[in-house]
Amino acid sequence: MTDNAKPVTIIMVEDDEGHARLIERNIRRAGVSNEIVPFTNGTEALVYLLGADGSGQVSAGRHLLILLDLNLPDMTGVDILEKVKANAHTRRSPVVVLTTTDDAREIQRCYDLGANVYITKPVNYDGFANAIRQLGMFFSVMQVPETA
Amino acid sequence: MPIARLSFIRATLVMLLAGFAALALIVGTSIWLVDRTQAYAEAMVKSRALRGAAVDLLIAVQDAETGQRGYLLTGQDAYLRPYDAAMAEIGARAARLKAAVAALAAEAADVERLIALIDRKVAELGQTIELKKTGDGDAALALVRTDSGKQLMDEARAIFGSLISSAEARFNAALAEQRTSSQILWWITVGGGLIILVVTSAGASIILRYTRELMESRIEVQALATGLEERVAERTVDLVRANEEVQRFAYIVTHDLRAPLVNIMGFTSELETSIAEIQALIADIPAGAADAKLAEVRRVAEQDVPEALGFIRSSTRKMDALINAILKLSREGRRTMKPERLDLGALLQAASETIAHQLNESQGVIEIAAKAPLIVSDRLSLEQVIGNLLDNAVKYRSPDRPLVIRVGVEARPGNRVLIEIADNGRGIAEQDHQRVFELFRRSGVQDKPGEGIGLAYAQTLIRKLGGEIAVTSRLGQGTTFSINLPRDVSAFVGSRSA
Repeated sequence: MTDNAKPVTIIMVEDDEGHARLIERNIRRAGVSNEIVPFTNGTEALVYLLGADGSGQVSAGRHLLILLDLNLPDMTGVDILEKVKANAHTRRSPVVVLTTTDDAREIQRCYDLGANVYITKPVNYDGFANAIRQLGMFFSVMQVPETA
Repeated sequence: MPIARLSFIRATLVMLLAGFAALALIVGTSIWLVDRTQAYAEAMVKSRALRGAAVDLLIAVQDAETGQRGYLLTGQDAYLRPYDAAMAEIGARAARLKAAVAALAAEAADVERLIALIDRKVAELGQTIELKKTGDGDAALALVRTDSGKQLMDEARAIFGSLISSAEARFNAALAEQRTSSQILWWITVGGGLIILVVTSAGASIILRYTRELMESRIEVQALATGLEERVAERTVDLVRANEEVQRFAYIVTHDLRAPLVNIMGFTSELETSIAEIQALIADIPAGAADAKLAEVRRVAEQDVPEALGFIRSSTRKMDALINAILKLSREGRRTMKPERLDLGALLQAASETIAHQLNESQGVIEIAAKAPLIVSDRLSLEQVIGNLLDNAVKYRSPDRPLVIRVGVEARPGNRVLIEIADNGRGIAEQDHQRVFELFRRSGVQDKPGEGIGLAYAQTLIRKLGGEIAVTSRLGQGTTFSINLPRDVSAFVGSRSA
């Protein structure tokens, strides 16, 4: 990601600030130094991603990687996923769903809607930290296309 | 209005008896009347015979008189022919009349008198004929003129008349009697027939009513039984549903509990990293610098903070383990059941093989019921539950004796099947029988590793299969776990998919 002319911005939509902080730290430990923009609710995240008018024009030319929790106070992450993947400007941005739900139907639904990766948060902290670090390492090697 | 059983029997019996009595009456009367009719017929025949005999005799006497008169007038022998013929007949006819009268046992005196008269008449006739034959026609006529012959004949006629009319009267009386008999017979037959008809139809209606009531009560009983089954099924579905709700609740609660716990653990970990850096920094300061403040900081950094962090860690780890156990339980509870046809015998056999090694080590044996039915249930759940129970049997065996496990299977009413797993292990104290199914609760000496979730888990799975698990045990003697399962779980699963 760092090789690109324009650095990739990681959008983190996570309502639990403690989790957000732990995710950020563990990603950093994996050597990922990209900018991380955190959001604690869906509405603000959608405004950032698609603009106040919802057209997605604001995201044109950005390199975005979206880290998405499904349990949000104002909406479900599935709504955000749906809108992001339906928008012409943001649909190519990779979306990593990182959530507690391991319901098979929910996982299928997210992939059907275009999620690129679905990760269930491990139930204990060690597993959690480990998973986030591995995710960070994965981020460090993956290519992110420029949004249209 | 239901007919009581006893009153039904009584009523039917009375009807039957009444019908029988009517029939007996008809038959008896008929026999009696037929006898009577026969007697009347005989009487009629006899009356006829008497009348005939009387008439015949009268005719013969008249013929004789006619011949006498013709002969006396003409003196020609030709006129004697009817006289001779009649004279030849009179004796026989008189005898016949006597017999006919004797048969009727009546008017015998009249007949005697008549025959005497006829004898005298015959004698008078013979006398006149004799006189005429000897040529003394005048003497003969003089004899006729004495009117003695006429008087005799008049008397005889009178007796004949009374005999004939008496015979006719007898005949008519018998005929009338016979008519009466037939009429009585007719009435008796019709009346009896009516009684039989009434009794039969009343009996039939009682039987019909009773049968209908029997049918109705049978239908009612069937409806009740069906209703009961439905209610049991409904309750079971309700239970399964309630159980699921508890599972869902547990799942949500544990999920929500886990999120802050991850933070506590995560930031404890962060604090450990931080304190390690501080410890490294303090370690660099030479120990000799005897500064009281520094010594205090060193103590805090090297002892107090790590100790506090250690308690936080151990507590959160324990909490994490508990939450994970609940999560596992609720996740399994939420798992979709896949009902399939299972050979319970084969399943038990396979489960027993997983503990075969441990059994061999301790000279233990396992006996599995030879006959086990096919059931429709979730294979994975049953394998886990039975595996868990067998593991427990091995784990909590008595050190004093070789382990014996008996697995029995039998059919139970309501299309259910009972699996019993009995061991001769250390047993469970009475007060712990319910407790062993509770989460995180264990019983007896805590000398074996375990979290106290196995039986709670087994109970969750069995309830999800629409069944029940129970324990009977005596401390120091052994334990029996009984699993009562529906033979076909798809009904419960089907009702739940909504």
